[in-house]
Amino acid sequence: MTASPARLTVNAAPVDLTPVPVDERLLDTVRWRLGLPGTKEGCRTGECGACTVLIDGRSVLSCLALTHEFAGAAVTTVEGLEGDPAGARVRAAFEAEGALQCGYCTPGFVVALTSLLKERGTEASAEELLEDLGGNLCRCTGYAAIVRAVRRIHGEMP
Amino acid sequence: MTFTVRPDADAKLRGQVAFATDRGVPGMLWGALVPAPVARGRIRSLDLGPARAIDGVIAIGPADLARLLPGVTGAVERPVFPTDRIQYHSQPLAAVAAPTRQLARRAARAVRVDVEPLPPLEEIEGFDPVHPGPDRPDVIAHVLARHGDLDAAFGSADFVLSETYRTAGVCQVALEPHACIAEIQGDVWHVTTSTQTPFGAREDLASMLGLPEERIVVEGTWVGGGFGGKGAPLVEPYALLLARASGRPVRLALSYREEFQLGRTSLPSVVRIESAVKGGRIAGRRVHWRLDAGASLPGRDFTTGYAIGFILGPYRIPAIEMEGYAFRTNKPPLGPHRAPMAPQCVFAEESHMDHLAARLGVDPVAFRRAHVWKEGDRTHLGQKVGPFGLDRCLERAGALAATWSQDAAPHTGVAVGVGFWSTATGAGGEVRLVLSPTELKIIEGEREIGSGSVIRGIVAVAETVLGISRDRVRVDYHDTRSAPFDSGVFGSRTLAALGQAVQKAALALRDELGKRLSVPAGSVQLAEENGELVAVSGRRRAKIRSLLTATELALGGLTGEGRHYGVSGEIDTARVVEGTFYPYTDFTGAAHVAMVQVDPETGAVRVMRYAAFQDAGKVVDLPTAQGSIEGGVAMGLGTALTEETTWAEDGRMSNAGLLDYRIPTLGEIPPIEVHFEEGFLGAGPFGAKGLGEPPIIPVPATVGNAIFAASGVAMTELPMTPERVARALKLL
Ligand code: FES
Ligand code: FES
Repeated sequence: MTASPARLTVNAAPVDLTPVPVDERLLDTVRWRLGLPGTKEGCRTGECGACTVLIDGRSVLSCLALTHEFAGAAVTTVEGLEGDPAGARVRAAFEAEGALQCGYCTPGFVVALTSLLKERGTEASAEELLEDLGGNLCRCTGYAAIVRAVRRIHGEMP
Repeated sequence: MTFTVRPDADAKLRGQVAFATDRGVPGMLWGALVPAPVARGRIRSLDLGPARAIDGVIAIGPADLARLLPGVTGAVERPVFPTDRIQYHSQPLAAVAAPTRQLARRAARAVRVDVEPLPPLEEIEGFDPVHPGPDRPDVIAHVLARHGDLDAAFGSADFVLSETYRTAGVCQVALEPHACIAEIQGDVWHVTTSTQTPFGAREDLASMLGLPEERIVVEGTWVGGGFGGKGAPLVEPYALLLARASGRPVRLALSYREEFQLGRTSLPSVVRIESAVKGGRIAGRRVHWRLDAGASLPGRDFTTGYAIGFILGPYRIPAIEMEGYAFRTNKPPLGPHRAPMAPQCVFAEESHMDHLAARLGVDPVAFRRAHVWKEGDRTHLGQKVGPFGLDRCLERAGALAATWSQDAAPHTGVAVGVGFWSTATGAGGEVRLVLSPTELKIIEGEREIGSGSVIRGIVAVAETVLGISRDRVRVDYHDTRSAPFDSGVFGSRTLAALGQAVQKAALALRDELGKRLSVPAGSVQLAEENGELVAVSGRRRAKIRSLLTATELALGGLTGEGRHYGVSGEIDTARVVEGTFYPYTDFTGAAHVAMVQVDPETGAVRVMRYAAFQDAGKVVDLPTAQGSIEGGVAMGLGTALTEETTWAEDGRMSNAGLLDYRIPTLGEIPPIEVHFEEGFLGAGPFGAKGLGEPPIIPVPATVGNAIFAASGVAMTELPMTPERVARALKLL
């Protein structure tokens, strides 16, 4: 597979991946090339949400994204949400409601929900946020505590 | 009970927890498996040449085993690679390793396999199991038990209700696929893996590879969901052999497709259940069960003789007969899926109960309560029933169902279903506690699989006994070299059984502190003072540091050990005609209530409200207990409504992906009320009963009964897809 140039920003740091094979997925780039394993590898076919990252602020399934197609983009993984106030709010709500068990789906939920909060802020109702999380699967919690966490965040919105 | 945040929550939320899939080591190779192209057939030839011709690729097949395992003597029960007969589709025939994932996949595809296909054996119905005849699956287990005068019960019955139920196979679908990293370190075969049972994996690997157990080291990682699927080794033997062949560490992870195809899932079953009713009571019940065991090994069957008891139900029935067969078909080997086959057996039994009550024109909850076991009753195999809160759960569920029924809209039905399970299984374990001047370490081999049973469950036991605050307790995971033996995180046993070992170890520490303080042991509790632990008894206070000897301080602290090897109850073997049946340890009941709406035009079922009343003995940690019930109910809703493995005519699993095999999504789960019934104490610490499996068991039955209440149609097949419901409603 021929390689292409790929310069991107990952968690606010510029990285130059040139040359990157054209079939390399962003999921593998962040996990194996950049050593950021917080982004989880579930189905690798776009069906579970465990691999969710932000590209220019929007949720993307990194298992379906080819790295070279995102040259120039700003990628944020769960590791990059450390200092983010919306991310902190999501983490606090998940902790308080016990919205995780095995934790394998958890980074995907945190990233997806954080981006929804940043993007839609107070305009979105809890129901809308929940609907937008429909692509993230969780096998352990039965979603009950995740739903409570989302409602808690919504209740806390300014 | 105060709310406690899980100690692993923060790290998991920040993506800082390393699962087996996340592990990488320098110089590692990526493994891949070579799948059988047919479900049944003979291998004519297997040519690894084209894979080996790719630069950097290592390939191994059956012919390499003798070379890789020199000095191995004795027959291996299940060879790692088949030499002759293919047992199921995608069965690994060979394995490859390469410097990159892509290259490994390419190499696996390059292997040339020539097979003579045979028609797969898939049917478990339509033939006499005693004389199956040629081209029928073999019987790998047959169980038969009887008690009471069945002929009289059926001969004098007011009526007999006879029904047949069919249930589909379901997959665990842990989000984390199976993954491991294997490395040969001198004489030691080391594997870091996502497993529910490090010691069980070691034992199985030893037998599969023909190596002594001491030469195998299993190191557990955080487990991204188990549900029974991460018990027996799956990827580990191949990874170890590839590591041996290449001299490099090898990472082997299943693709999600393989996860479905090779995961040890549950498989289809057929239940016939007949009840003889006289004077409004069940006078006799006969059940016949056929279970598809896939390519399971003969003689390794636990499920048949265990789950079949659930078809008779937790009810007093004077005359019973149960007979079960497990068949060896060309599907992947049957595996344990959260409460193995119990939701399916209970679906048949509890649906049947509602149909009996309807036929009698009586309230189904009252009908159950007239029969349900209470402490002191005898099970169908004559075991004495221990403390059992099911009747009380039923009473509360019945009251809630009556309330919900009042606001039931058209096409809406409310119903109850029950289930029971035995936790605190006889399988044993040990634990070591080390009390240092500043913390308490729990040294053990089990990793947290998600339920919280390790990180909260057993920790809460130590906290309660010693009065120590939870941020002073740390679970210290060891590999199988240095961890005390434990049989694993399965069977709802972690809190209930391993928790007893922790309780004993904590009590041993407390006794020792009492001695050193010269106070009654029971009076000692731990507290904190300026960052140090102190032992407190009334007015006596002493720093732990001051109570330890110099040697103890040098060794890290005072050690307390606990062992728990449980005893199960006894069954009356006179009732067993053939096969192996298993006794229960404790009796854990649950009664559920569902409100569903059935679309009269499409047959689609929407679960609107759900409630679970769980006989818990004693709740040790409320948030994890509640999470376990919610998660179990949700998983059960999948079994009830959408989840089903489907098999093409050639024996291939035809829906091996999350888009086609549908687990519940966020929007499909109704609000779930969780209620605990405490006081009917189990064998666990403080009377706790295990809560991992019980909550899934009644779900399909409860939903089926609610569909029956809503529409009047009796559902007899799982899952209850819109198509099946529409057919039952005669819409199709
Ligand atoms: S791993 Fe990307 S959606 Fe599942
Ligand atoms: S917490 Fe395990 S999959 Fe969500």
